[in-house]
Amino acid sequence: MPASDPPSAAEPAESKVGQEPSNAKDTPKDAAKEAPKLSGAELKKQAKAEKAARRAQALADKPSGGTASPGQPSPISKGGEGAKGAKTQQKRTPATNVETRNLPVRGASQSTPLPQIPAKEDKTVEFFRHLYKPRRTTLTGAAKEVHPAVQALGLQMSSYTICGSCARLVATLQAFKRVIESYTTPPGNTLTRHLTSHVLSPQIEYLASCRPLSISMGNAIRWLKLEISKVDIYLPDAEAKKGLCEAIDVFIRERVTFADAVIAKSTASKIKDGDVILTYAKSSLVQKAIVQAFEEGKKFRVIVVDSRPLHEGKHLARSLAELGIEVKYCLINGLSHNIKDATKVLLGAHAMMSNGRLFSRVGTALVAMEANGADKPVIVLCETIKFTERVALDSIVHNEIAPADELVIPGGNLAAWRDVKKLQLCNPMYDVTPAEYLQMIVTESGNVPPTSVPVLHRLGNENQ
Amino acid sequence: MAPAQAGYAPDLSAFLKSLKVQSLEKSIENLISLFKRRQIKNSRPCAIATAHLLRQVVAKSKWSDLGKLLERIQQVGQRLMEAQPREMVVGNIVRRVLGMIREEAKEDRNEEFSDSGSNSQKASPRREPSDLSLSKAGAVPPIGTFSPLRFESNIGPDAAFESSSNDDVFGKSTRPPLMTSHASYAVLNGVPVQQSMFNLLSTNSSPSSTPVAASPVGKSAPSSAAISHRISTATLDLKAEIMNGIEEIIDELLQVDEQIAAYAQEHIHSNEIILTHSSSGSVQKFLLKAAEKRKFTVIVAESYPNDHEATHAAVTGKTSQDEKNADEMSVGTFMKPLAAAGITVVLMTDATIFAIMSRVNKVILATHAVIANGGLIAAAGARIIARAAKVHKTPVIVVSGIYKLSPDYPFEFESLIEYGDPGSVIGYDDGPLVDKLEVDNPLFDYVPPDLVDLYITNLGAHAPSYLYRIVADHYKPEDINFHKPELQF
Repeated sequence: MPASDPPSAAEPAESKVGQEPSNAKDTPKDAAKEAPKLSGAELKKQAKAEKAARRAQALADKPSGGTASPGQPSPISKGGEGAKGAKTQQKRTPATNVETRNLPVRGASQSTPLPQIPAKEDKTVEFFRHLYKPRRTTLTGAAKEVHPAVQALGLQMSSYTICGSCARLVATLQAFKRVIESYTTPPGNTLTRHLTSHVLSPQIEYLASCRPLSISMGNAIRWLKLEISKVDIYLPDAEAKKGLCEAIDVFIRERVTFADAVIAKSTASKIKDGDVILTYAKSSLVQKAIVQAFEEGKKFRVIVVDSRPLHEGKHLARSLAELGIEVKYCLINGLSHNIKDATKVLLGAHAMMSNGRLFSRVGTALVAMEANGADKPVIVLCETIKFTERVALDSIVHNEIAPADELVIPGGNLAAWRDVKKLQLCNPMYDVTPAEYLQMIVTESGNVPPTSVPVLHRLGNENQ
Repeated sequence: MAPAQAGYAPDLSAFLKSLKVQSLEKSIENLISLFKRRQIKNSRPCAIATAHLLRQVVAKSKWSDLGKLLERIQQVGQRLMEAQPREMVVGNIVRRVLGMIREEAKEDRNEEFSDSGSNSQKASPRREPSDLSLSKAGAVPPIGTFSPLRFESNIGPDAAFESSSNDDVFGKSTRPPLMTSHASYAVLNGVPVQQSMFNLLSTNSSPSSTPVAASPVGKSAPSSAAISHRISTATLDLKAEIMNGIEEIIDELLQVDEQIAAYAQEHIHSNEIILTHSSSGSVQKFLLKAAEKRKFTVIVAESYPNDHEATHAAVTGKTSQDEKNADEMSVGTFMKPLAAAGITVVLMTDATIFAIMSRVNKVILATHAVIANGGLIAAAGARIIARAAKVHKTPVIVVSGIYKLSPDYPFEFESLIEYGDPGSVIGYDDGPLVDKLEVDNPLFDYVPPDLVDLYITNLGAHAPSYLYRIVADHYKPEDINFHKPELQF
């Protein structure tokens, strides 16, 4: 079933292909006309050429397109926030269709960008090249079927306003609830057959184009599709929709809200007076557990290790410090100095792989490695919704590559990195921590060793 | 402090210029305050500044005998080391200068005895070491096949003590007294014919052992007064030699990167992926040298809160302030960015190291200081890199000049770690947060020797376990703890 849920971003709505040829026809037609009429229509031809030039000019000046080389083929090869939207559109060939459908005029000048193509250098890192996906940062070119709630959510995700596996999962399900609420089955169709393929799919596709779906989102979407397929085809729309919305609420409550509470409680019971808890970046679950332990009156210190470029740990440090917890904050360069003081290491998860490895924010593996070297217990907090049957041996086969421009410090030396030949920036989001570094995984169904991940995952799936 | 050069902030080049015009004491004070304010930092600038200052000390201060000079240099050295104890190269350079002076002293004394006071006609300084070592060799059965330099490095610890005791040995050793008058001939003229003639006369068959035969007969226990008298007459010569010795050390400092880079092609093959950390001139030259012949990929971890700007500048090819200084210092150190040499350069954050380590063939680290146990002090983050490499069984190569090799053996490594400005971790503009948090920003990491596979120095490649031997070759045992008299015997 993995094939069904994360629809690859590169196959957007086929329906609009029709638009493209009609635009494309323009140019060949012009050319065809001019070529034979060498003798007669000199003037006419000139006028036409001028017109084409003007059109090209207009296109080039379009704000979203930017002046730089529209239509260059290499992904992520252009900087600047404004240009990113355009980049997204022009990058993948199918996406161009999405673009042209909304603004048919643009298709006319396909000939102009061609000469610039060879000038651009591929800025993607070779061994991560299979992972590069253009990321959408504007609404331009979104399919018209995309619900406004989902549109907003997509942008929030791509700007990391909503960040974190579970937060994204919950937000997605909430948005889908809105989609389902506003859905009416067209005549001659049934909800079961129509909703998933025609309404939900474009939403999912759009979300995936904003930022690749998290593994927990994939799990939840798979569950939702299953739920929809189980709806009785004779059930009236209103009831079916109500049922689905309730099911989503229950799902969120059971798999996330309650699960979080259970995990926080069980982790808090492991924190003792005098402990020094080391954690990396920010996990809402770790935060909940620490806050819970603090509210239970335990006396302990927290060390937050953080890294560039997201600095998520800073938010965690801030909110813990505001509660009055004693917090030490350092970047990953201070890791080996601080690991000695720690008594326990708590880590959040993006996903747990079936081979017991932890898939989490890049840098987590280093923390676990250092903790292991210093003989400190590493405890992972993870809801079972984040378990996946996928396996991973390294962090390269499966990962998410964030835009390299996030690494550029404003005003720093990197500002013009795209002009430096053979220089590449790489910004992967996750890494894979070997199972032998993890001592315990705290889930809502109990505390298990990493070897038990596939077992729990299977049990969870059988229940559904 | 001494007036800074008008126009620019005091740094290494300003200091070196001021050295020529300022009085000695002022220069010392100046350097101490530059160290303290970290206006001269990092190993190489510190080493160069120290060497230049010591040369001034030798040149400008009044000293009548070597004992006084040693004392003076120890004094200055101690002050410099106290100014910035974590720049271990300062101590290294001081020790090397001390060792070099002791060496000269020993030679001088031997010279003294052998040619009975005719210092002014001393043979070229190049000749002396071999004379000296052979004189030692002479105590042993006839050899002459030994490489003199090799042998010299094994000569026992305490120069003064040993030489006098050797004198005794020589005194008793069955050398006929009649040689004395001829000995100076051999050294002065060095004419082969004469040497062979001495061989005829000598009981020893080795031609080069002649000067020894001449040695100390009749004055087996020279009084210190006598020595100081002779030395004072020799001061001028000695001074020139010691200055020469310091010049050699400075030359070594300037050339060390090129020398290390010469080994590059032995260690890097085509299409490798090499991980390095932070920005270091040594590593960059090393990789550039390898890039002349091979194409490979370099991944640079940026070493975020402290050195990231320099790293970014290095990868994009903008020269930072430090590099400009380096350019002034040594001719032809213009550094082109690696990318311009045809290497693919990938810049990544420190956190991604574990993720990409499975693709890395070799890790090349620069270092701040190397300690005698084979461990090293390097920019913070180096330790996790080395450990991640260990986990992935990726070899770790450390590129370092010999001058960074310190004879110190600290038993408590935390004392070597310097902590930097926490403002670069959380900006002071974030006031409320700064108030509530404890923020930590170490500048250095201690990397234990078991995480390092290979050291490449200007002398070649060594296993970490061999470094103690190189330490023994470069520093005299009596100098190792000169700044801590309580540790000396």
